[in-house]
Amino acid sequence: MSESAETPAVVKEPEQLHGLLAEYTTPEELLQAARRVKDAGYSRWDTFSPFPVHGIDPAMGIKRTVLPWIVLVAGLTGGSLALFFQWWTSSVDYRWIVSGKPFWSIPANIPITFELTVLFAALSCFVSMLVLNKLPLPSHPLDRYKRFARVTNDRFFVLIQASDPRFDRRETAKLLDATNPRAVEAVMEDTASSATLPRGVIYGLVMLASAATVPFALAMLARVSTSERPRVHIVPDMDWQEKFKAQRENHFFEDKRAMRLDVAGTVAQGELRDDDHFYRGKVGGAFAKTFPAQVDISMQTMERGRERFGVYCTPCHGVDGGGQGMVHQRARALLQGTWVPPTDLHQENLAYKSVGELFDSMSRGIRNMPPYARQIDTADRWAIVLYLRALQRSGAAKLEDVPESERGGLK
Amino acid sequence: MAAVGDLKDWQGETPSNERTDEPKDARIWQREPRGDNPFAQITDAVVRIVETPKPPRAWYIALAISLSWLGLFGMSVGLLVWNGIGIWGNMNPVGWGWDIVNFVFWVGIGHAGTLISAILFLLRQNWRTAINRAAEAMTIFAVICALMFPALHIGRPWLPYWMLPIPNQMQMWPQFRSPLDWDVFAVGTYFTVSLTFWFMGLIPDFATIRDRADTTLRRLVYGVLAMGWRGSSRQWHRYERAYLILAALSTPLVLSVHSVVSFDFATSQLPGWHTTIFPPYFVAGAIFSGFAMVMTLLIPAREFFGLKSIIEMRHLELMTKVILATGTMVGYAYAMEFFIAWYSASSYEQFTFINRAFGPYAWAYWAMVSCNVIFPQLFWFRKVRTNLGAMMVICVLVNVGMWFERFVIIATSLARDFLPGAWGYFVPTLFDFTTFLGTFGLFFTLFLLFCRYLPMVAVAEVKAIHPAAHGH
Amino acid sequence: MSHGSDNHHEDKITIDGEASSTSQRALVLGVLALVGAVALGFGDLAKLQRAYLTAFMYVLSVALGALWFVAIQHLTNAKWSVVVRRVAEILANNMVLVGVLSLGVVGPMLAGSSDLYPWVDHARVEGDHILHHKAAYLNMSFFTVRWLIYFGFWIWLGRRFFTMSVRQDKDGGDEISSALQRMSAPAMIAFALTLTFCAIDLVMSLDPTWFSTMFGVYYFAGCVLAGYSSLALALMWVQNNGRLTATVNQEHYHDIGKMMFAFTIFWAYIGFSQFMLIWYADIPEETHWYHWRFEGGWKAVSALLLGAHFVAPFFGLMSRHVKRNKRGLAFWAVWILAIHYLDLFWLIYPNGDGAVPLGLVDILCVVGLMSLFVGVSARRARGVNLIPTGDPRLADSLAFENI
Repeated sequence: MSESAETPAVVKEPEQLHGLLAEYTTPEELLQAARRVKDAGYSRWDTFSPFPVHGIDPAMGIKRTVLPWIVLVAGLTGGSLALFFQWWTSSVDYRWIVSGKPFWSIPANIPITFELTVLFAALSCFVSMLVLNKLPLPSHPLDRYKRFARVTNDRFFVLIQASDPRFDRRETAKLLDATNPRAVEAVMEDTASSATLPRGVIYGLVMLASAATVPFALAMLARVSTSERPRVHIVPDMDWQEKFKAQRENHFFEDKRAMRLDVAGTVAQGELRDDDHFYRGKVGGAFAKTFPAQVDISMQTMERGRERFGVYCTPCHGVDGGGQGMVHQRARALLQGTWVPPTDLHQENLAYKSVGELFDSMSRGIRNMPPYARQIDTADRWAIVLYLRALQRSGAAKLEDVPESERGGLK
Repeated sequence: MAAVGDLKDWQGETPSNERTDEPKDARIWQREPRGDNPFAQITDAVVRIVETPKPPRAWYIALAISLSWLGLFGMSVGLLVWNGIGIWGNMNPVGWGWDIVNFVFWVGIGHAGTLISAILFLLRQNWRTAINRAAEAMTIFAVICALMFPALHIGRPWLPYWMLPIPNQMQMWPQFRSPLDWDVFAVGTYFTVSLTFWFMGLIPDFATIRDRADTTLRRLVYGVLAMGWRGSSRQWHRYERAYLILAALSTPLVLSVHSVVSFDFATSQLPGWHTTIFPPYFVAGAIFSGFAMVMTLLIPAREFFGLKSIIEMRHLELMTKVILATGTMVGYAYAMEFFIAWYSASSYEQFTFINRAFGPYAWAYWAMVSCNVIFPQLFWFRKVRTNLGAMMVICVLVNVGMWFERFVIIATSLARDFLPGAWGYFVPTLFDFTTFLGTFGLFFTLFLLFCRYLPMVAVAEVKAIHPAAHGH
Repeated sequence: MSHGSDNHHEDKITIDGEASSTSQRALVLGVLALVGAVALGFGDLAKLQRAYLTAFMYVLSVALGALWFVAIQHLTNAKWSVVVRRVAEILANNMVLVGVLSLGVVGPMLAGSSDLYPWVDHARVEGDHILHHKAAYLNMSFFTVRWLIYFGFWIWLGRRFFTMSVRQDKDGGDEISSALQRMSAPAMIAFALTLTFCAIDLVMSLDPTWFSTMFGVYYFAGCVLAGYSSLALALMWVQNNGRLTATVNQEHYHDIGKMMFAFTIFWAYIGFSQFMLIWYADIPEETHWYHWRFEGGWKAVSALLLGAHFVAPFFGLMSRHVKRNKRGLAFWAVWILAIHYLDLFWLIYPNGDGAVPLGLVDILCVVGLMSLFVGVSARRARGVNLIPTGDPRLADSLAFENI
């Protein structure tokens, strides 16, 4: 709106005329005036009001704006972008299974798709409203007219620009007078103040924009270069903890090692374990053939042994001790070629092994079986051995060995 | 023809923008609004609050209190960042405690603002113009308070950008299949769009303040914010279209936001959380608590700022009806949950609801039921709907009840789920409390500043629906 | 703009002649179609019952949608809708017919048929742990009591709105409007509960092991869509017969169209929430219901439902021009009514074998029941004004202009 007005041919003005401004006090007056001006064929004119006057659009012949279409396109773009991005990141770039859901989980992608559609649509709505309205508009010739300051309060205005082809100083003024305005003013172009931003402001903005690119430039540089120095660690994030890890140095000790052996000749409390029979299943260096004194040979111990056997041993050795446990079955199903089946506990050579040897195999492991000393405490291990003996006996028993009361259940 | 710059028009009047006889410290909001026509009166009634050199004393008192609470918030956050989440009461099995309760609480409150702005606009309810500016401001401040909690409860609050899909050296992306990530987008979008909608509505009112400004600073600040708005009808046309589109976009948005928040719970398998009615139930509950908060704010505000001529009793009464309606919807959802919990024949579901009513958290449950279901029933009576004291009390109770509803949903369902061996009991710590109280400090401080420096009522919109604005 | 308020005085507001003839034809068509359906479907009674149930839930949804419309307009003291409300009141006042039609579903149940509802069969209930648990609710006596309550209430409510409104034509005044507004609040609560439990009883209990707290809301969404679409078409029929031509104009159609648009989105929101939550938690107790609807032929039906019940009407009804254009709006009203049938078919039919037995019997049932509904509605339109002439908000409604 700051293009120069053509000097009217009929009357010469000392300043350039921007247009004629008429003031009204009610919306009805504004509407009537607007209709008159539109009917008179003017095209470069506008009306101003503190609020959108109902009916002003048809009165002025304002055409529908293209804004909704921009919003539609932006919304669809946002939605497609969201859908594509979720698909690409989850099924192409970094595929990983989350709680069994498919890589491209469309139902799970809908919320974000919807949100981004709305976000893009809403932001484009606001921005295009500003752009189409040519806002921000820091300067306008009308700013110098005090009466016009009431436009945002309670007054209504019509402005017909002098640049309109039909504009004529006298005719246009007559037309406006006929609409019964409160006042009519001639609005001059604003030649006093500068038409462009002050140079200082422009320099400031340019410097600010250049400064803003510096962080990005540095980041880009960092991406393509290497450095021998460790990266800047702003937040420690528990990355350096006051404890010693394995293989680290500790200068307190002469050999500077953080990992230490036990001090020679010491034993931790409760760790003496000098009862060879109970803790290692050995008597006089050879495997024990009897149970140690601490083990109570009773039904209770046997039941405990059966329960513990069920927890720790059955996965490999099976409930019956035959070696067909779940782990073995699984290994067979997976066709593991190098799989060594778990031992059948009813084998003859095992039945002749001493209890001490069985205890030792269980505690320290044997062949592919891991040691169980850490998992099962000593008394329980002996209980399992006790149960094992019963199990082996059951595998080789005859009908006469079964008490009469139980024989019916076997049939 | 008047010459340029002449203050008197050709009929010899002084434009009323020039205020000549006003003492500087007068309680100008207590006098009748100035102006010889309704539009000028509306302008004066609202803008004088922004222009007054000294706001009402109640404002200072309220600000002092809220600033102290805000200080409490600052301290709580500082301690949290330094020490970690351990200062809160979160434990096994209640891993989500007051942090998530407060998050849902604040997000829910925000919904009323958008409903008043957008949905009532689409439904052509003109009475919304008296309250929509304050309600939208409330939305933005409530969402700010809400966003505090996801940011702070993640344990390492200096890494929140991990929630955003920014390419990184770990080559990882956010887990888009998680409702918690949907929250990031939903609440983020909600905040952005609400802010945009609010700001857009403020532009003509900033222009009003700019044009009445008598100091250069005020003219400059509000002038920049107004972006040069001058009320051109051609601009109004696009503005109105944009406003309608934003309202039409905000409507499904606000419904989606609390639905996405409800997905945080409903997508799980936990009894009491996994139920399909959560999305609309949460939305209704959000509107319920939001309207109650709007009323809690506006009843004193219209009193102290002299806005009774604009925010009338009939507006307040209409809001109580909305509260009654949405409260009834929440009650319907409760009924459906109970019924289906029994009908489902799932012992876990049944236990959850019996546990809520009679277990260790029964006190919270009955607080919730009385505040959400029982007290709002008083709004059936016109006498109660038009009594300001009763309205204030019931609205505060509604918000208490809605806080307890979220607490009951979160804490009771987590405290006792499938394995009795894993049961526990959540106890909040002092810092849970101070953090929550502190967010009220943040909320009220922002709202009080809004009352002081921004136009509390949508001036242009109120004018547009005034009878004097219509006519052919 | 005064295009509405002046010429309406010349409008004719009664439709006795055409209503009679339409009513006769519709009733005859209805009876013939039903007889045809029974004749054709007699060999497979289980299927016939299912076809009838689907058609019945369809007619019920139209009637309930209209009833809801009338109630909400009163509750919110709406001004725009006054000129269209009488037609909706006529549609909503047909609950007696719908109640009689419900006997086609409830009758066989009372006679002991468990073709539709497994829980009717005592032996099956005794043998099944879950059915046994639910037997306190899912048993014939309690069911019958509830059925009587639902229809009793709806009949009473539809009639009350209609008769009070017609009385206002004669007496005028504000008291009737205030009374109806006051009544509509508790009525809404009762409406929500009766609709929910009716949907649970008649549709959700077809598969008694499945459950969803959202189910009532889902059926409600369909009811509202059916109600608004039927209202639009009913108004167009009235106008095609030369009545209300200036009274009801594009402003009112625009608003009806807006509601159709809004509730299309609402339906999709509710349907998606229900589906996504069950999909996400993946609990077999709940997911089997959806598995049935994604197996075999049902996969295509589900996809069609998504595309035609949401995507197409969403884009179609978005445009202002379509909503203000009678032909455009009629197209989408018919579309929505058609796809709404598919929605109910999708709710009621799947039983795990993947077959989609949509056949002539189904078509005849729904045509039959809807024709009967149209016939009785047209009959009720005789002798009453087509607009509530005594309503104090009538002038506002005539002068109504949309955004």
